[in-house]
Amino acid sequence: MKLRAVREGLILIALAFLPAIGEGIYFRDKVSWQSRIPASELVTVDQARSWGDSAMWVDARPDEEFSRDHVPGAFSLNEDHWNELLAQFLPNLSRDKRVVVYCSAESCNAARDVAKRLRDEAQLKDVFVLQGGWEEWLKKSK
Amino acid sequence: MAEEEQMKFFWRIVDLIVGGIFIYAGTIKVLDPVRFGLDIDNYKTLPWFVSVRLAFYLPWLEIFCGLAVISRFLYRGGLSILTALIAVFIGVTIAAKLRGLDITCGCFGHASEHWSFPQHMAVDLSIFIALAALWFANELQRPAVQQ
Repeated sequence: MKLRAVREGLILIALAFLPAIGEGIYFRDKVSWQSRIPASELVTVDQARSWGDSAMWVDARPDEEFSRDHVPGAFSLNEDHWNELLAQFLPNLSRDKRVVVYCSAESCNAARDVAKRLRDEAQLKDVFVLQGGWEEWLKKSK
Repeated sequence: MAEEEQMKFFWRIVDLIVGGIFIYAGTIKVLDPVRFGLDIDNYKTLPWFVSVRLAFYLPWLEIFCGLAVISRFLYRGGLSILTALIAVFIGVTIAAKLRGLDITCGCFGHASEHWSFPQHMAVDLSIFIALAALWFANELQRPAVQQ
């Protein structure tokens, strides 16, 4: 019984490799295989601050966290109210400025998702994700 | 006899539900493997290059095992792997919570992103219990089927 379960399990484990490899090949150019977010799309707090007025800050956290506190001058743009917030953000957008998107911490995905949508849907080129997010901003502001 | 048939029918329904859950969860992840890679990475237990590779592999394993449970082909293998997967997942989720990590699990797509820790645990433990019950039910039914 146990031997049979092991044998069947091994067959399933082997079978699952086939589509996974195929999908990996299909996505090979769309995935950053060595780092979570490609280094070219990340920016540190110090770097982003050094950009001064040529950077626009986008807060990808939920509304309530944004209302509690945020980077001075940041626009709220989260996926919960995407269309509504994007409509408010776009008129303020200057195409020659860099956009810095952040969420709560290193482990959140919202900044990466919002940055991707800004590139795809608003055709923005200079969109960066803030390394360490809001947590890192707070640390550096102390 | 009728009662036995009823029980068999009941366990088939459980098979369909459990298998269906894993096929659904796997399909969502297959559609956005990068997102799932980020979800795995958020647990801070594996380096990124492992997380991203697992993100391409695990969803297919879930789908194949889900299909095995539904079709009853390679059934025991499917049940064993799914039980191990959910046990590991429960373990790392508890460990992440203890380490104070704020985890967003993409297990069931956007719907599960805002689930609280107890909600996650309730769903995962229910699935684990269902899988364990299927194991025992299969063990009990087996001699009768083989004789």
